[in-house]
Amino acid sequence: MKLDGKTAFVTGGRGGIGRAIVARFVNEGATVYSADLDAGGSLDRHDDDGSRFVRLDVTNEDECVAAMKRVRNDAGRLDVLVNAAGIEIEKTIEETSLDEWNRSFAVNVTGTFLTSKHALPLLRSAAERGASASIINFGSYDGFIADPGLAAYCATKGAVHALTRAMACDHGPEGVRVNAVCPGYVDTPMLQSFFEGEGSGGGGRTITQLQKAVRDAHPMRTYGTPEDVANLVNWLASDEARYASGQLWVIDGGLSAQVQQMNP
Amino acid sequence: MRLEGKRAIVTGGSRGIGRGIVKAFLEEGASVLTCGRSPAPEDLPADCAWKTADVSSAEDMEHLAATAGPVDILVNNAGIQVERTVADSTDADWDLVIGVNCKGVFNACRAVLPRMRSGGSIINIGSVSGQTADPGMALYNASKAFVHGLTRSIAVDHGPKVRCNAICPGWVETGMLYAGFDLASDPEAARRDALMRHATRRFGRPEDIAAIAVWLASDEAGFATGQLFTVDGGMTAASPINPGIY
Repeated sequence: MKLDGKTAFVTGGRGGIGRAIVARFVNEGATVYSADLDAGGSLDRHDDDGSRFVRLDVTNEDECVAAMKRVRNDAGRLDVLVNAAGIEIEKTIEETSLDEWNRSFAVNVTGTFLTSKHALPLLRSAAERGASASIINFGSYDGFIADPGLAAYCATKGAVHALTRAMACDHGPEGVRVNAVCPGYVDTPMLQSFFEGEGSGGGGRTITQLQKAVRDAHPMRTYGTPEDVANLVNWLASDEARYASGQLWVIDGGLSAQVQQMNP
Repeated sequence: MRLEGKRAIVTGGSRGIGRGIVKAFLEEGASVLTCGRSPAPEDLPADCAWKTADVSSAEDMEHLAATAGPVDILVNNAGIQVERTVADSTDADWDLVIGVNCKGVFNACRAVLPRMRSGGSIINIGSVSGQTADPGMALYNASKAFVHGLTRSIAVDHGPKVRCNAICPGWVETGMLYAGFDLASDPEAARRDALMRHATRRFGRPEDIAAIAVWLASDEAGFATGQLFTVDGGMTAASPINPGIY
């Protein structure tokens, strides 16, 4: 098993992609702390050991400090931090309130900053003991090219990309690798919410028609599953990825590899 | 006039983007020599020199460079497009696309570089398709990525004396674009759909590309080298998934 003996901390651990990462890490032999705003998360199922669930608001520094203290006391080490907690406001900048803007940055950017900042002492000591310590942030293909009506989200993901490179640069010498995964369209509650918002909009399209159109826009003719993303995160967390750092790993079924296509 | 006193070679100036660049350079005061495989087009501006030459021929490019003498600007615009996947492409397609788009740029640069004046500027026409793929245009896409790589190499190797940049046009209203639409089952619908993918809600025009070519050729761009400049009306800034147009 790829993550035998490692301890991991996954934020957004009971959300769409986070849940799949937690499940995969558990399968790969890791001790996994799953953190989320509440135990229900956005899904009605989870695969983590309930005793290692951490109630955590990533925007609250005290809670981040307490979460890492708990990991130190319980497990005595941390090898992998995955910053999968994120929110998406489906609006243009004109429609976005200052509160929504601030909340987007608080969760997607400040949250990544806070958990990473307070996990670093533990990650560094794992590295000092010869382990391969790793932080995996959640960027997005939206950090490269924009989806309409997702302005704050696109901006936060661009910020995560730059933060990823900065962290890799600063903490690489301490033995901590930092990467970001940049998913495209993945079948999660976040994507379904996007479909529902757009599908009920103008144009007379049903959600099913919209889903088909989105699938067809991909060279692979499908959007991804949370497990597809978890496969990549698992590799980045493992010792196989020991030379991988500072990169943005796009996983999107080829969507961003193609130039805009017309629909004849 | 921003190019007064400068001497320029523009390959493929008989039509499309190349012609747009020729006109803009003349308006900015440059003297221009352009070339193509056919005899001089009848509508070529009177003050533009023409030489019948094939960029894929090293000999032709050597003659062209010798005729021009010392120059300040070289625009490698001549290009060709074959609409096929790798599986469908023939050896003749390879020779044609790579011969014109890759070897042509190499031939012209190799012939002109030794004759280029200090402070010279080479401008290659790359493409957004050299960065992300247009379906069914495999050799074209790859040839443009070659142009991007060669652009950086020339900038690095010939640095203090010569600047070298590439322009990556998106969809510009030329014969090449219409050929693309004609492949669609409903060319008019394809055209409408494609327009919606541009933040500017219009396609590019040869003069849009000529405008940045003038800037890159001018002394204002004295610190710009080794880069790809995308001019595409915002097309590649947007996700290919745009629910508003489905």
